[in-house]
Amino acid sequence: MKLDRFVPAVHWPSVRGRARADAGPLLLVAAVVAVVALLAGGTPPLLRGTSDDAVRDAIRRAPDSAAVQVDAEWADEYGPTGGRQRQPHLAEDVDSLGVLAQTSLLPSLQKSLRPPVTSVSTVSLAITDGSVQRRLRLEYLHTAAGGPVVTWVAGGPPRASTKIPDIEVPLTAPMWPIQVGLSEAEAAALKVRPGDKVPVQDDNRNPYNVRVSGIFRAADPNDPAWQLAPWALNPVPNVDGLGSTRLAGLLSAESLPDARLAFRTDQLRRGVHFETDPDSLTWESAEALAASVTELKAGSSVSADYGNGLKWTTALDSLLRDVRDQIAAASSQAAVLLIAVLAGALLVIGLTTELLTRRRAIALATARQRGASLPAIAAELALESAAVTVPAAALGLGLSVAATGGAALTWVVPFVLAALCAGPAYGVLAAARATRDRRVPANRSARRWAVRTVLLRRTAVDVAVLALAGAALVALHQRGVVAGGTGLDLPAAAPALVAVAASLLLVRLLPRATRLALRLALRSRRTLLLFGTARAASTASRVLPALSLTAAIALASFAVTLHATTERGLTEGAWLTVGADARLDLRSETTADAPELATRLAAAPGVRHAVAAQVNEVARFTVNSVAVDAELIVVDTAAYRALLADTPLPALPAVATKGSPIPALVHTSDGSLTPGVNFSLLRSGDRAAPLTAAGSAPGAGNVVIVDAAAGLEFDPNTIWITGPGAAKAATDLATGGRLTTLDNALTERRTAPLTAGLLRLYWVAAAVLLALGLLGFALAAAASAPQRWETLARLRTLGLRPRDTQRVAAAELLPMVVFAALCGPLLGSLLARVTLGPLNLRLLTAQTENPEPVVSWWTAELVTVAALAVVLVVVVLAESALRRRRRLGEVLRVGTAG
Amino acid sequence: MSALLTVRGIDRTFGAGPSAVHALREVTFDVEPGTMVALVGRSGSGKTTLLNVIGGLDRPDAGTVVVDGDEITGLDEDGLSRLRREKVSYVFQTFGLIPVLSAAENVGVPLRLAKADPREREQRVRLLLELVGLADHAQQLPGELSGGQQQRVAIARALAASPRLLIADEPTGQLDAETGLAVMGLLRGVVESEGVTAVVATHDPVMMALADRVIRIADGQVTC
Ligand SMILES: Nc1ncnc2c1ncn2[C@@H]1O[C@H](COP(=O)(O)OP(=O)(O)O)[C@@H](O)[C@H]1O
Ligand SMILES: [Mg+2]
Repeated sequence: MKLDRFVPAVHWPSVRGRARADAGPLLLVAAVVAVVALLAGGTPPLLRGTSDDAVRDAIRRAPDSAAVQVDAEWADEYGPTGGRQRQPHLAEDVDSLGVLAQTSLLPSLQKSLRPPVTSVSTVSLAITDGSVQRRLRLEYLHTAAGGPVVTWVAGGPPRASTKIPDIEVPLTAPMWPIQVGLSEAEAAALKVRPGDKVPVQDDNRNPYNVRVSGIFRAADPNDPAWQLAPWALNPVPNVDGLGSTRLAGLLSAESLPDARLAFRTDQLRRGVHFETDPDSLTWESAEALAASVTELKAGSSVSADYGNGLKWTTALDSLLRDVRDQIAAASSQAAVLLIAVLAGALLVIGLTTELLTRRRAIALATARQRGASLPAIAAELALESAAVTVPAAALGLGLSVAATGGAALTWVVPFVLAALCAGPAYGVLAAARATRDRRVPANRSARRWAVRTVLLRRTAVDVAVLALAGAALVALHQRGVVAGGTGLDLPAAAPALVAVAASLLLVRLLPRATRLALRLALRSRRTLLLFGTARAASTASRVLPALSLTAAIALASFAVTLHATTERGLTEGAWLTVGADARLDLRSETTADAPELATRLAAAPGVRHAVAAQVNEVARFTVNSVAVDAELIVVDTAAYRALLADTPLPALPAVATKGSPIPALVHTSDGSLTPGVNFSLLRSGDRAAPLTAAGSAPGAGNVVIVDAAAGLEFDPNTIWITGPGAAKAATDLATGGRLTTLDNALTERRTAPLTAGLLRLYWVAAAVLLALGLLGFALAAAASAPQRWETLARLRTLGLRPRDTQRVAAAELLPMVVFAALCGPLLGSLLARVTLGPLNLRLLTAQTENPEPVVSWWTAELVTVAALAVVLVVVVLAESALRRRRRLGEVLRVGTAG
Repeated sequence: MSALLTVRGIDRTFGAGPSAVHALREVTFDVEPGTMVALVGRSGSGKTTLLNVIGGLDRPDAGTVVVDGDEITGLDEDGLSRLRREKVSYVFQTFGLIPVLSAAENVGVPLRLAKADPREREQRVRLLLELVGLADHAQQLPGELSGGQQQRVAIARALAASPRLLIADEPTGQLDAETGLAVMGLLRGVVESEGVTAVVATHDPVMMALADRVIRIADGQVTC
């Protein structure tokens, strides 16, 4: 049996001839396929790379949350007489913990962690030198590199307080002496010299015998050990949220055993601290690390008494969860945008194919009459289609690999398949139709039946598209976009489908609208407009041109809306974190002058307001004997109200400055503090302060705002400054402290990897969609050009002036332009309203709630109108230039032939 | 009485070199006003080319055409447009009506281009539709009319601006014999009633019988 009985006979000369005759449209399809393949193939690898960057970025911003902490139990060591025994080698014991912890981790994960810092810290002791709220801890720090290295500027390193290394002391012994070293800053703050005692006691008012052996200077203040206990170098204000300043005395390997003797076991913590190394982490390795730490964490909670007694803690998993949520939000937005681009591209390819098939209708019909079978025609067209789309897709993917180091096929394959099938499908349909009996039935009822069949088919298509769009929208709202899904999931396609469905519905109204316009034009005296409208009315029933233009513009303005909303969200988020144009966080030594500094700042040029406040990020309150943690802000509320009124931040309600209990403005996310409730603030070493919730504080999260004059101690540590000169004034006038400006905060957010990538993707998608829409418009114009210019030639035989032909041509294309320019941006903004919620923009803008869609309707409208106007003029000029040399007789001769 | 149409020494060649087609060679003739001339010849003999040159839709390589005192071979595009609005009109084989406009609106198109008063326009349209026997079909769209009816609308449109010269290129080419005959009769009638001069290309013997004069063309040359 011969094989070619089954293989359709391909007539090579006609394949070649057709391809040569229609090189333009075919190249256009190739270009669209290549661009889409590049975009759709390149975005997922880019996103993956950005995920790695996002993890590193998040870790860099919050090194503490990414760190891994391992705590180890102590066992009490009793001597032969039942007392506690000094352990001279305690330091080596502690140091070996680091090695132990490290070996518990998978070797692959050890690479992502920096060398550990081993530490022993005591509970904090109140300093009883008469100063307010200062507390001292004793710290033993050790790094694998033997750090931290210090040089002794006075006195010497702490030594053992006894000659007998393994002395046994009775349990009820008096305070055991401990030697510590102090940094220069701390010694100055405590006003002590080597040999002096630091008067300290614990919360049960037991005194401790702490003597200063020497004063040191850190060889490298950036040594990881100091990062772990910054209070060992400089006093740190308000670490506990209760307003006290923390200092630390440094223990040495020799004095550590004494500290062990002086404190109860539960007053000492020993542990190992690993910083993560963001540079050596990828998204995958970070996830593996978090998983293994979680496992160790779970293991340690059950087996703490056995095993090695290590207790693992890290916030890396929750940090990664946040990053994962952000990546999920980013990828779902990327998916939405890519599907939108795919939809726009498919519409344009459909349009091109329609144009091609139209041009080939006669050739296909003759081929059919000459005896070519439908499968043969299909095979020929498929060959041509493959020759165009496959190399184009390969080129796009190749470019994607070159640019991003990878290419994802999830989106590209279905798209290329659709592009591949469009040509043969249209062509075969056209060929089949050409040979079918197409006479209009003579019988009136049969004719009506035919009309009804067409209408029914059209309605079925409309209903199907609408149903699909509706289902996608519901799915989007119910379950959101599945992060990292296969790509082509229904919810992600919702915006594209809704845009197409809504455009389709609107486009169905176009014939009616042009008929109405025609009726108006008939009544007017504008002859040229009448001719243009008449032509438009005769092409208005073609769905694809207006559909692709409108849907593409709608999706482009949707992308622009996403961009604008994200930008606005980022700005609002930055305002929330900074609180003003600039914020100055003061160090403890400068806080005393804060009110005076605020006054000077307020008087600086370009500064409108400067308000000093005491901000305790975590303060503890009790409501009906339930503890609530909230941010405490003590501030001159009147001045703060004026400052807030100068910012886009929510306004501050008025509150009484005095009263008993002290009036406060409150806000809690769980509603535990509401206006009218009485509660109290816990203070260390002092009685609780009674408060009453007098009103609602603005903002999110837990916050309590009290007036500075209300009677709580007021020790300002923050200055908010507004006005264009805020940052400059703060740099010029402030002598210490950390300055955060709105601009910096905003730039930081904008340049965060995921955000920056998405902001770029919004623009690229909007530009590509707009280009696709304009391309579709130009194609539609090209498809209708022969008929248009034939009609114009006829009108010229009736006396239409040559220069008026361009105006009539423009008038013909105008309805579609006006329609798309009106409906596109409108649909885009509607689309943003119905689909933005589930896209969770807040995860990227660092807001607590999703930002309201920012509809830049006018921008979209202006850009659309301008772009369409330019393309309209170019199309008309090009069309008329192409036909300038042709004489009327020739045009009409061709016209009669066609 | 001087001729309404004077054609002198028209040459028209398409292409150049060995593949050049001499579509018209040294064509010369006159047409008296108010007459109907049948231009007869086989397909490819140059009828359409000649009509295009006469009507200013194409320019000859040599020779002159004068219509009602205007030498159209010397006019620019704007001059030709004016000429078409005022003096020359065409009827084509394929009717060339605007599909979304009613019969009446189609007939009114030349009057709109000539910026005629709307009331006058409506009157004239009604008159012309009566003349071509389509008064009852004024509001129908071309697609709802038969081929013969469409061609009659096209003739009414050609007469709308009261031209001096009517050029028709095989106006019955797409019609069946009976309908073609009726259209021919109509053309003959309007030449009488409207006083226009008509040049009609045809290979229909009936038309030749109806014409005042027959010009034969073969291989681009007028034979008699
Ligand atoms: N644009 C053109 N290019 C080349 N040859 C042409 C062109 N137009 C007409 N011809 C040739 O001129 C000759 C006359 O054609 P035409 O005037 O259409 O004849 P008729 O109308 O009598 O059938 C024909 O041989 C035709 O092929
Ligand atoms: Mg001809």
